Amino acid sequence: MSVYQVQQCVFDHLRALEGAPRDQRLPIAVEGYELTAVEQLALVEGDVDALYRLGVHPVLINGYCRAQGYKRADYRPLFKNAAADPSRRTRWQTS
Amino acid sequence: MADIVMAYSAAHAPMMAADPKSAPPEQAARFFAALETVRQQAQERRVEAVVMISGEHFTNFFLNNLPQVCVGLGEGHVGPVEKWLGIERTVVPGAPGLANAILAGNIADGFQPALSHKMIADHGFMTVYHELDPSMKLPFVPIVMNCTVAPLMTLRHAWNYGVSVGKAIRAYPGLERVALVGSGGLSHFIGEPRVGDIDEEFDRWFLAQLEKPDLGDLLDMDNDELMLAGNGTGEVRAWVAVAGAMQGAKATTLNYEPIYEWINGMGVISYEPL
Repeated sequence: MSVYQVQQCVFDHLRALEGAPRDQRLPIAVEGYELTAVEQLALVEGDVDALYRLGVHPVLINGYCRAQGYKRADYRPLFKNAAADPSRRTRWQTS
Repeated sequence: MADIVMAYSAAHAPMMAADPKSAPPEQAARFFAALETVRQQAQERRVEAVVMISGEHFTNFFLNNLPQVCVGLGEGHVGPVEKWLGIERTVVPGAPGLANAILAGNIADGFQPALSHKMIADHGFMTVYHELDPSMKLPFVPIVMNCTVAPLMTLRHAWNYGVSVGKAIRAYPGLERVALVGSGGLSHFIGEPRVGDIDEEFDRWFLAQLEKPDLGDLLDMDNDELMLAGNGTGEVRAWVAVAGAMQGAKATTLNYEPIYEWINGMGVISYEPL
């Protein structure tokens, strides 16, 4: 329905985890949000790549991955497509 | 009136507290040595309060209501919110008189920050604050900036805001010795396919610009270009704000380490008092 609803769902999930005992894995609650079937599936399955492609903010994705037990950059393989090389040249590039 | 007796900016990767030993020991030792230098400065200069600027991480705000800047006015600030951070959660004393003076000064200068009497301090503040004062008793004014949700303050706007913060601190009659700290950056990528990358070239260039009296062309950089150094790199707005508050002061990079295990360009830059 809207990426806002997906992001609200992830945000609320992370808030719920703050109140839960450490390391407790709570299933994400998708009831009460206006979600399409695709959005709901991405949330229930914890499909990080799909959440990224839907437009969920990277800070929320990072928090979600941390809550899933990923540390540092070890969730990088969850993204199916590598980032495209930026075509714009920056002022700090020397080579 | 208060003096800003010390000012610095430092990176705030969560792993520096949660798992510091994951970094190559030599890199971690050099980074923490720089933080030890500023901690000793704070003790020698008998700092009475610290004003710290950091980025928002959806800790205090969400997309339904997200200010570009918010000043914490509370008597105390709970933090850190992250249970896994390795820093015991506590209530850090606030400095409401100083915080109110900063907010009033900002408004007088034409800025319109939000205010909070119940600000929560996340890793963005607490990693750097804990290194500054492990006893966590130093009165603290948190200022949170939106650094990741577009449209964002430009770097020039952040610098101008910092000028206003510095002016307000120096006009405050209630304290004599205040520290100003920027927390965030340097380059990092999170929650996206490049997570873990560090743009070392950007980091070294950025630090070199801050060391220039006129900041080079740093303030002319638009947000799209800044984002090419990483989607978390916008937190350098806090560093630019501190540079604005300390305009005219000599800046010296105490340390730079690209610590890939912490997925963050780590560094510390310090300003001589004016």
